[in-house]
Amino acid sequence: MSQPLKCSLCEEPATVHLSQVVQGKVTKVHLCEACAQKGGATDPAIFQLADALTAPAVAPSLICPHCGFTDIDFRKRGRLGCPDCWKTFGDALGGLLIKVQHEATHVGRAPVGVAPVGQMRHRLEIARTEMEVAIAAEDFEGAARLRDEIAQLELQLRNS
Amino acid sequence: MSVQDILSAENELTHMLGAQQAVVLSTRIRLARNLDGIPFPGWAKVPQRKEIAERCVEGLNRLPKFRRGHVFRMGELTDLDRAVLVERHLVSKELASGKFGAAVISKDQTCSVMINEEDHLRIQVVKAGWHLRGTWNIAEQLDDALGPDLKFAFSEKLGYLTACPTNVGTGLRASAMVHLPGLCLAGHMEKVSRALSQDGLAVRGWLGEGTEAAGNIFQISNQQTLGLSEDAILRHLGGWIKNVVEQEWNARRKLATEEGDKFVDRLSRSLGVLRYARLLTSAESMNMLSHLRLACDMGCLPEERRHIVDRLMIEGQPAHVQMRQGGELDSDGRDLRRAAVVREALRDFPEVGPPLA
Repeated sequence: MSQPLKCSLCEEPATVHLSQVVQGKVTKVHLCEACAQKGGATDPAIFQLADALTAPAVAPSLICPHCGFTDIDFRKRGRLGCPDCWKTFGDALGGLLIKVQHEATHVGRAPVGVAPVGQMRHRLEIARTEMEVAIAAEDFEGAARLRDEIAQLELQLRNS
Repeated sequence: MSVQDILSAENELTHMLGAQQAVVLSTRIRLARNLDGIPFPGWAKVPQRKEIAERCVEGLNRLPKFRRGHVFRMGELTDLDRAVLVERHLVSKELASGKFGAAVISKDQTCSVMINEEDHLRIQVVKAGWHLRGTWNIAEQLDDALGPDLKFAFSEKLGYLTACPTNVGTGLRASAMVHLPGLCLAGHMEKVSRALSQDGLAVRGWLGEGTEAAGNIFQISNQQTLGLSEDAILRHLGGWIKNVVEQEWNARRKLATEEGDKFVDRLSRSLGVLRYARLLTSAESMNMLSHLRLACDMGCLPEERRHIVDRLMIEGQPAHVQMRQGGELDSDGRDLRRAAVVREALRDFPEVGPPLA
């Protein structure tokens, strides 16, 4: 049975394990929780390694012009900085949105005074399908009602 | 108005105002909204957060719903005050832990709007029992009434803009608190949980994310907020809740039939302990109160007593016990006080009888 690894600095049981690969050469460092948290000047090489692994790899590539929020901030917090961030980060978040929401377009309500375009387009799609079904089932009254609704929606969308 | 007043007021979750039902304890609608042009609370500077709070409180106070309501600023409350509001599900732990958060609560405690939590505004409407459409209508009205005044951040493509991608779009989180002792005792909860999460519904213990279901109470909510209409979200949740309620009743009836005397015995022992114990921990009292609620649902105890059980479930929580007592208590002190409150409330309860057919 192998013994548990000991902290490189203080011989306590190690719970933090760092590996550095430089030009094919692997260096391993084992630390206990307390030493890993301390950081600082005790052994510069070890903590340079620790720092390098936790510091951001690159400079921010996206910055919101309204509030200064960056993509690195988002990676840390999981939340955006301001409503205008969605303009800056919207495209980049596309993949995440699909993963979390399975969809990327709003089809619900809008605030009072704002045309609910997404909702109308969504309803239009559904109504067109329903009309086809009604016609196929020879429910001509239903089809007529849907045709009127579709015309109304198309008009509203043209005007919005 | 103080938090103490909230405790003593009659509300439909703790008093028999004709609203309680079996299985579904309460229905909740939550809408996330943000003001246009100001950073979200987590990124806003302190002066901005204060501005957000002022504008939102002002906007809310103009609504008839919040006339004679309460405004609570988290920074001005004691730890105990805030803990009581969290226990009552009027505010979240996150709001209570921040300094610039506020909550505007209607007099009947069905509407609670959180300010400066993760988003600028979280409109919450809660009703006892199963009332998805009813709660939605109230929330929709509040949303429409506030919108013109407060100018919500909204985009055609992404809907209501929120701090977190998990809320963008409708900003709607619809949920129900359900009491599932039948499914729990039958060992079906894991299967039910899995089926629900596979179809886009989150299941958690009623005390929040990552907690066990104390008292066999779970919160079931929609996960998707974007790409579905509000109506579709509500229909989806509604369909599943009806399904779960049916399964719960099947499990209860099966259990009662198969266990016979053992079933009644289990419920009786819980009533016995609750009526006479001198010390009660939060966990054990929740478990036994769960049995009493089951008893009321099945006619083993009079249904008119159920609101007393519901009140004890809420008021048996640690901060509530201390506030009633008038100050902080240590663990043993709370257990002693809790037992006294429970003994008093259940004093006139009759014996547990067999279930009605």
